[in-house]
Amino acid sequence: MKKLSRRALLRGIGGAAVALPVLECMLGKHGEKLATANDSGLPQRYALLFAGQALGGDNYDKTSSRIAGENIQEGNHFIAPTAIGQDYEVTTPLVPLQERDLLGDVSVVTNMAIPFNTTNGDGSAVPAGGAYRDFHGGGCSPLLSGTRSTSAGFTCNGPTSDQVIAEMCAGDTVHRHLVMRAQVPFYLTGYDHSGRQYISYEGAGNGGRIEAQTSPRNAYMSLFGNFVPPDDEEAQAVLDFQLRSRRSVLDLVKGSRQKLTQSASRYDKERLERHFDEIRDLEIRLGAEPPVVGGECHKLDDPGPDPSIGADNTGAGSNDITSASTGYSDEHIRARTMCDLMHMAFVCDLTRVSTLQITAFQSHMSALPPSQQQGYEFHADVHELGHNGDVNNRGQKAVSIMLQWHISHYAYLLEKFKNTPEGNGTMLDNCVAVFANEAGHGRQLNDATSENQTHSVENMAMLVGGRAGGLTPGSHIRTNRAHPAQCLTSAMRAVGYTGDALGEVTGILPELFES
Amino acid sequence: MTASGLSRATSALLLTTCLGASQLVACGGDDGVPERSSEIATESAARRLSNVELDNTLRDLLGDDTKAASRTLVSDQYSPYDNDVALQAPSEALITSLEIMAGDVADRLTADDERMQSILGCTPTGADDTACLRTFVESWVPIALRRPLEDGEADLYLGLQSFATEANPYVDNGFSTAVNLIVRAVLQQPEFLYRIESGTKTNDKGVLALDDWQVASRLSYLLWGTMPDQALREDAAAGRLTTATTRYEVAERMMTDERAKLQMRRFHAMWLGHRILPQPAELVNAFSMETGALIDRVIFDEPQSYYNMLTMPETYLDNDLADHYGLPRPEGGEGWVTYEGPPRAGILSHGSVLASFAKFADTSPTQRGILIRTRLMCDKIDPPPPTLNVDSPPGNAEATCKYDRYAQHREVTSCAACHSEMDPIGFGLENFDMQGRYREHDDGLPECIIDGQGSVPGVGEFSGPKELAETLIESGRLEACIMKNFYQFTIGREIDEVEQPVVDELLEQFRAEGRDMRALMLSFISSDRFALRREFQGTEQVAP
Repeated sequence: MKKLSRRALLRGIGGAAVALPVLECMLGKHGEKLATANDSGLPQRYALLFAGQALGGDNYDKTSSRIAGENIQEGNHFIAPTAIGQDYEVTTPLVPLQERDLLGDVSVVTNMAIPFNTTNGDGSAVPAGGAYRDFHGGGCSPLLSGTRSTSAGFTCNGPTSDQVIAEMCAGDTVHRHLVMRAQVPFYLTGYDHSGRQYISYEGAGNGGRIEAQTSPRNAYMSLFGNFVPPDDEEAQAVLDFQLRSRRSVLDLVKGSRQKLTQSASRYDKERLERHFDEIRDLEIRLGAEPPVVGGECHKLDDPGPDPSIGADNTGAGSNDITSASTGYSDEHIRARTMCDLMHMAFVCDLTRVSTLQITAFQSHMSALPPSQQQGYEFHADVHELGHNGDVNNRGQKAVSIMLQWHISHYAYLLEKFKNTPEGNGTMLDNCVAVFANEAGHGRQLNDATSENQTHSVENMAMLVGGRAGGLTPGSHIRTNRAHPAQCLTSAMRAVGYTGDALGEVTGILPELFES
Repeated sequence: MTASGLSRATSALLLTTCLGASQLVACGGDDGVPERSSEIATESAARRLSNVELDNTLRDLLGDDTKAASRTLVSDQYSPYDNDVALQAPSEALITSLEIMAGDVADRLTADDERMQSILGCTPTGADDTACLRTFVESWVPIALRRPLEDGEADLYLGLQSFATEANPYVDNGFSTAVNLIVRAVLQQPEFLYRIESGTKTNDKGVLALDDWQVASRLSYLLWGTMPDQALREDAAAGRLTTATTRYEVAERMMTDERAKLQMRRFHAMWLGHRILPQPAELVNAFSMETGALIDRVIFDEPQSYYNMLTMPETYLDNDLADHYGLPRPEGGEGWVTYEGPPRAGILSHGSVLASFAKFADTSPTQRGILIRTRLMCDKIDPPPPTLNVDSPPGNAEATCKYDRYAQHREVTSCAACHSEMDPIGFGLENFDMQGRYREHDDGLPECIIDGQGSVPGVGEFSGPKELAETLIESGRLEACIMKNFYQFTIGREIDEVEQPVVDELLEQFRAEGRDMRALMLSFISSDRFALRREFQGTEQVAP
């Protein structure tokens, strides 16, 4: 379906920073405006950032920690503030929001829970939108797709929130979505991600998984490789030559499609057809007119080669990591670069949906380098930090410091939104960015008995930033065991989703829209 | 060293004629030509080159040794091998990254005159030198695609010369522009990225015969993990690879290449789980040297029973590693040293194996048990029950000694039901720490004496790697598991239950060859099966 070229319109006005035409994403298939979209006429964007860690530590309550060898009793480290509403105290994980003056731009949603069957652990006994009683895998599907899990595997049994939005906006932007992951290897010797590396699913099951781009440079090239400075005739000509030649190359490759697929077996044919489909889509993306650079939309500096990929954690085990150079591929820089890319991709309307998996589910990335950045020395991987920590560091504060590192990336992204003028306000007015993490901290999912456990889908929290669709951020909202998918559905509605459910979970959190 | 005294080539032929699973193979048809039963062909799908294979191929094809695939493409998933076809679904991220990588590789090539000249085969007179470009396409593209060009195929690539000759004041284009674009195109061709095996129909329904070029790729990616070299291409062109006897000779020659050794080292590292070790780099390098030397020796340098991989009474060390283990230093600073002292033997005594499968900051008797049961006995170990938190150390945290902490695994019936299948194996290795050193007691706890007694349930008791190796051999399970892993690695996917007869067939041959792995590989390669295929019927599998 050929849509009106937005860029053609822009050209007519000289390519400066101007209000963009009416967002097609906000229109229904017949052009009617969707109920919850705002009237700004600006693109509405949906972002989801994910951390593969829990909110607390095993067998430590929310005020108990061990830091640098000292056992301490201190409040204010668990993410959920005591007070509700706007005047809440800033807890340790939320400090990055405060540092960047974003507390008024984010809602802190706490006390959410995913249902599970406390008396029957069978897959067939899982309630709608519920978790199969085996963490970690059991939490994945209900958290991200609102669809119950029925086995221990890391898979979603329905499309995830970002992909529902991507489908809604399909065809409106050059890139249907921007799916990225900062953590590259699994880092645990002898094992592999095995599904922990996916947070975006366009459909149920493993076939619905969307492979994340893990190379910041490749993401950069893909998004901004065809940007040229305005009014630079030479650069335009060079780019034109490069793009024409690259497309001719792809065209040549596509030429073998029929020959290779017509004689192939069913299995090979499916595989090759998919491969050629992806080449076709790439060619279309390369052929799309580059965005008109102007106003806030500009070509980012080339991030250069990717940081080198680190080896598995070294040490006597996952709680005695000795080297700051293993178990780590500079995820800090990778995540920051990916946030830069996401921000500018939104500014230039290259896509309206993006996910960034900062760390994989059950992340075995070393916590040592991130903790050192914040003045600590956690000789454990992220996963182990939640369970047993290292000899000197564990419990609530240690986990919260790690969560703070994850949230620092979220805050970095939101600040970019906030500092970007758009329409009569800032980009934040036209974005919703959700921060989600893997687990809560409470009753263990597996045994349905033990308290203060990381393997828990209770006491879960999300951050919802931005003002798209009438969101009214700035408060701590303590829910009465709302389902996390209701929080996601609320965020989806903020960018024009008209449904009232995600997967099997119905309803939204109206407090997110109340002043 | 064949047991029967037959020549290797002859005994290899027996594998798929009458010696193997005889029920599966009909010998002698009505017209005197052997009939083929479909069971003699293995299902194969289009396998994408793994990142390591792609890096090796770029090195051999273009002299590009930057390991671009491993650095920038979506990671392979290990199952435990990196070549599992079911886990190779293409994605937007992959295709995007491949296009960028192909451009980078081509740019590096054409920026390096010497390297570019080495693949051109002619000296261009100018951007419009079509003859030279044709020479390049006709000589290089078939090498890259691992097959001869078809009529008119070269012309498709020559069309890209228009970018070399385009009058464009803004770009510095020339002959190398055409080379650059052709290289980009070829590196993105599915026929380059995948090993697409078609085959021609045979008299047996569903059985397809590969051509020489497809067999060449099977050979080179199996034995070397990379593309065919010139000699192998010449063999393919001469039709020597679809004939069993000559294929045998070719494989023998290929096994003298250093790349064959590297490939078997890589196979073992994936199989036994030490492809990456959580230890300091210098120690990992030393372990790698030690284990590599043993694999080289047992398989290639002095072909012998594969059992000696597990029972070898000596090991290859340098001074530092000898000091590390507390063994005598080798003469000349590096060489073979006969074990003395604690009961060590073979690869199970190596730091590479003993360092893998650790947990909770120490050796894990459970994990080591899983290693032995799953990788060397090919048992399936059920995952722990969901109600169990496997992320906390086992048992009684107040007990000082590790053996006592594991008491729950032995004494609580519901735990023991599974752990009795694993832990006793690991406890038999407890005298060896996670860097392969001998220890008398738990680390830092002299009061916790390790008795080092273990058992392989249902087989027998042992203490230490040497006796474990003997016990595994005695179990009769080891050799079948070796064959199963070799076959899985060879076909690039999990083995279906109905394919067990093939593993049995390989096992019979393995025994007949005196468990000489090199001989077994040669037999397998020169069997009819190696040049046949059936279409893969499988579906996408769940990642392991």
